[in-house]
Amino acid sequence: MNRLRGNIVAIDHNSHMSLVDVAVGVEVFSATLLETPETAAYLRVGNAVTLLFKETEVVLAKNLSGLISLRNRFSVTVISIERGAILSAVTLDYGGESLVSVITTRGVDRLQLATGDKVEALVKANEVVLSHEP
Amino acid sequence: MICASIDKCLHGADGEFRLGAELEVAEGEFVALYGPSGVGKTTLLRCLAGLEQPERGLITVNGESWLDTAQGINLAPQLRRVGYMFQDYALFPNMTVRGNLEFALRPDANKKRVSELLDLMELGALQQRKPETLSGGQKQRVALARALASEPRMLLLDEPLSALDAEIRVRLQDEILRLQKHFGITAIIVSHDVGEVYKLAQRVMVMEAGTIVRQGTPTAVFCGGQTSGKFAFTGHILEIEAMDVLFSLTVLVGSQIVRVVASRDEVQQLQQGDRVMLVSKAFNPMVLKLAD
Amino acid sequence: MSHELGPLLLTFRLASVTTVILFCIGVPFAWWLANTRIRCKPAIEAMVSMPLVLPPSVLGFYLLLAFSPEHWFGQWLDRVAGLRLAFSFEGLVVASIIFSFPFLVHPVQAAFQSLPRSLHDAARVLGKSRWQIFFHVLLPNIKPALLSGTVLAFAHTVGEFGVVLMIGGNLPGQTRVASIAIYDEVESLNYAAANFYAGVLFVLSFLILLLVYVVNRRVPNGHG
Repeated sequence: MNRLRGNIVAIDHNSHMSLVDVAVGVEVFSATLLETPETAAYLRVGNAVTLLFKETEVVLAKNLSGLISLRNRFSVTVISIERGAILSAVTLDYGGESLVSVITTRGVDRLQLATGDKVEALVKANEVVLSHEP
Repeated sequence: MICASIDKCLHGADGEFRLGAELEVAEGEFVALYGPSGVGKTTLLRCLAGLEQPERGLITVNGESWLDTAQGINLAPQLRRVGYMFQDYALFPNMTVRGNLEFALRPDANKKRVSELLDLMELGALQQRKPETLSGGQKQRVALARALASEPRMLLLDEPLSALDAEIRVRLQDEILRLQKHFGITAIIVSHDVGEVYKLAQRVMVMEAGTIVRQGTPTAVFCGGQTSGKFAFTGHILEIEAMDVLFSLTVLVGSQIVRVVASRDEVQQLQQGDRVMLVSKAFNPMVLKLAD
Repeated sequence: MSHELGPLLLTFRLASVTTVILFCIGVPFAWWLANTRIRCKPAIEAMVSMPLVLPPSVLGFYLLLAFSPEHWFGQWLDRVAGLRLAFSFEGLVVASIIFSFPFLVHPVQAAFQSLPRSLHDAARVLGKSRWQIFFHVLLPNIKPALLSGTVLAFAHTVGEFGVVLMIGGNLPGQTRVASIAIYDEVESLNYAAANFYAGVLFVLSFLILLLVYVVNRRVPNGHG
């Protein structure tokens, strides 16, 4: 599981759902939740939260251009690659934090990933869980 | 409002320990006492019913003193008017279903109450049967009806469903909840089933070694802080298998076996038999209608 | 023929009176014994079981001593209640109650102990008094044990010999019960009469026990 600590900077919500913006350092990431500030007390601007997302939900892209709907983009550097027969785990450095992406080994080959490469890591907002320790 | 403070010496499997619990339950509230066996949950419930006496304690119910060891007050269980459901049902074998309910009536009660309860719980067809001819689920429904027949001021449920299989347990949970709402009665259930606590209780008190260590809504207590995942289940790990750079976990959730994929850092701190919570976003699951 | 039926009628009168009194004393006593936590419980249980192991003559001997007009207990009974128990029907009843006590108390106590505690607890929270619980919940659920205990006590009294001989002697119409009569007739080589008493006792005992087994098979075990 990937974890990034941040603070809530904005909350958009309707009666059942919220789109929560969380600042991690200088960048802002989003999570869509089936909660609202009424149902979850921790949803307050300024609260510290941890973004959780699964390794298998992290998409990697090289030389990404054009428009994309994904809100969560991380500019990262490849630290290491552990190759498996079908899947590979790619460890990434994001401003000192380590993230892991598990993609197919074919994908690693197609992107010709190597240690030290600068790539983009992408996560859909609805794959991000917010955790709050009171 | 029930206020209780109980201090009693208990003899557990690992020697003596103190049951030292304080609890407050509001009128009409449904509260669960949750924890592993042998931590004093049942004893606490029995003290509330008057079936056991603590060395020191104080119980007041709506201002009326049931127990005050300092003043030498200890109201007999006969006078407390509680409805109690036992794990072994405790139906009187010599009486029919109807007989059990009639025996429970208060001396001044209207006999019609028995028929109303039999109708309400759809036990009419079984009313002339003896308990030994009933299934476990039927017995416990009779026990619930009997507890309510005595017009109790609170309902104490001592792991009433633990001897039943999963499907019947779920149906009886619905039944208990329905009747608790119908009569607006305060209820306290002892349970070690997270699902049951979630379903029935508005508030859960977690007991460990004789004391209440945590309490709150089931979500707040069981989700350890707050996590925004909506799709969450607790279960036990049956097996951990490596596959490529990931791991496959086989987890028993209730009576279902599920398999999930976990990364190395998730697996590192886990071993077979550990209790885990599986959390997913509410967006992920696809919903397929099943044929009847 | 009437003089021949006398000992048999006396035997059944003795057994009936003994069993009725024993039931009234023994069942509450068994309940108390099943629930008590007093320290000397093992000693009490041992006392109750003594008649199972003692030769009847030992008990009969001590009872005879106690009942005799020379003994303070016998004098006290005579003075207070006008009872002379030695060589009387009343004495036989008292001795038989003591002697058959374990035969009733043991099965009934065991049955009380095997009833789930929750039955008692359930009745208590339903507001029922001790006596309501005893008569409506506990007793009806130990029927098989009550029946076996009663019948065993009855049958045992019918068959008692040594203790009766010691404290009752052989007074026709008073203490000459069937088992004594058999011994007496054999002594006087009157085998036909002995055979008559023995045969009746044999057949009746068998029928009584048969009844117990048949009924206990039909009455489902209350707490199964």
